[in-house]
Amino acid sequence: MATDSKPAPGFDASKVAEIHQHLHSHLPSESALRVKALETLLVDKGLVNPKTIDAWIEAYTEEIGPKRGAMVVAKAWCDPEYKSRLLRDAPAAIDELGFLGKATAHLKVVENTDEVHNLVVCTLCSCYPFSILGIAPPWYKAAAYRSRAVRDPRGVLAEFGLDLDVDIEVHVWDSTAELRYLVLPQRPEGTEDMSEEELAGLVSRNSMIGTDRDLGENIEADG
Amino acid sequence: MDGIHDLGGKQGYGPIEVDEGESPFHEDWEGREWGIAQCARAPGITIDWWRHCRELIMPGDYLGRPYFDSWAQTDFSIYAEAGYFSEEEISTGKSPSKKTDYGKPAVAMTLKQVLQEDHDNAVRFDGEIETPPVFAVGQQVKTSRHGNSGHTRLPQYARDRTGTVHAYHGAHVFPDLSAQGVEIHQHCYSIMFEAAELWPEAKWSQDKVYLDLFETYLAEV
Repeated sequence: MATDSKPAPGFDASKVAEIHQHLHSHLPSESALRVKALETLLVDKGLVNPKTIDAWIEAYTEEIGPKRGAMVVAKAWCDPEYKSRLLRDAPAAIDELGFLGKATAHLKVVENTDEVHNLVVCTLCSCYPFSILGIAPPWYKAAAYRSRAVRDPRGVLAEFGLDLDVDIEVHVWDSTAELRYLVLPQRPEGTEDMSEEELAGLVSRNSMIGTDRDLGENIEADG
Repeated sequence: MDGIHDLGGKQGYGPIEVDEGESPFHEDWEGREWGIAQCARAPGITIDWWRHCRELIMPGDYLGRPYFDSWAQTDFSIYAEAGYFSEEEISTGKSPSKKTDYGKPAVAMTLKQVLQEDHDNAVRFDGEIETPPVFAVGQQVKTSRHGNSGHTRLPQYARDRTGTVHAYHGAHVFPDLSAQGVEIHQHCYSIMFEAAELWPEAKWSQDKVYLDLFETYLAEV
């Protein structure tokens, strides 16, 4: 490597294919050791500070996660004007709660109805609206879900315990560009007296991706 | 690229491991890699170049290794291609270079600072272009029969298929060229496909699949 010129990407795909072959044979086989090797090199070169890594882990463990999405959903259930803003301009509406951030600048909210059930996938990678749902669950990033959600959505939903009535249309949203999708689930019946905070407690992460639908099941029997 | 990453509609991957756990990271190293990916960005790279480098992982590794492991491998390849890491450094895990080689070493950020950065990183990809959109909402369009051999966001399962323009999103950064370091904007549409148009077994289905597609992927019917 020349020391008098700054490194810069060459966008050379053939070179990257060769690098991947090299990495295949020269990196340790355990994932933990591979990530450790990457962190060591980046920290040694001053490109990354390990304390900042700690802060990002804390941010996405304690602060940013599906609770944010659940609060948005509950607010939309309670406030029809907020709901219409959310359906019209989701990035602005989630920013009213301070939740705009990574991968949500082009967020779209799609609403479940008695006639339509929405399901979100990214078949080409694993695009996900991070700042409002946090880290995607393992199944969302796995080949089984990515391959089947567009072709066998009802079979997928059945594996999540949801046997969808044949009269309900499934609308699958494949995130192939920079738009990201959040499903607005239906408010369960019998929740008229619940507070916004209590309602948020009913909203599962999976219901905002579309692999869950009937949130009435989350109401405690003794509630 | 007709690569292993283009999974939509492929068969044989079996049932879904439905995970009931809500914890964001299941292993410590997954959190480390997430954090690395948030604070490590080689200057001059684009999100599409990063995605393409991930697509170029050898198929067995792409499918067989854990998800965040593939992020680490992508980061390795990005830094190596740009000249930050030598093959020797990757093989030995030791760096002979000093922290000052790439300017001031990265400073430690607090939780409050990274939360602010997450908020400020709501990156927009839209921009103004002079030409008006070719297609109108409600119009029928046909997708290209072939992809390109580099990065592209028209999946194989939706090629040479007829759909309907459901929405227009404005002009967004065109991924195929962004993966080559060239940023131009192109009109982007949400296209609705009947499941019956995409899959032989969905002949009687009323279900729909929506994809966000760029104008040069589309032609008039």
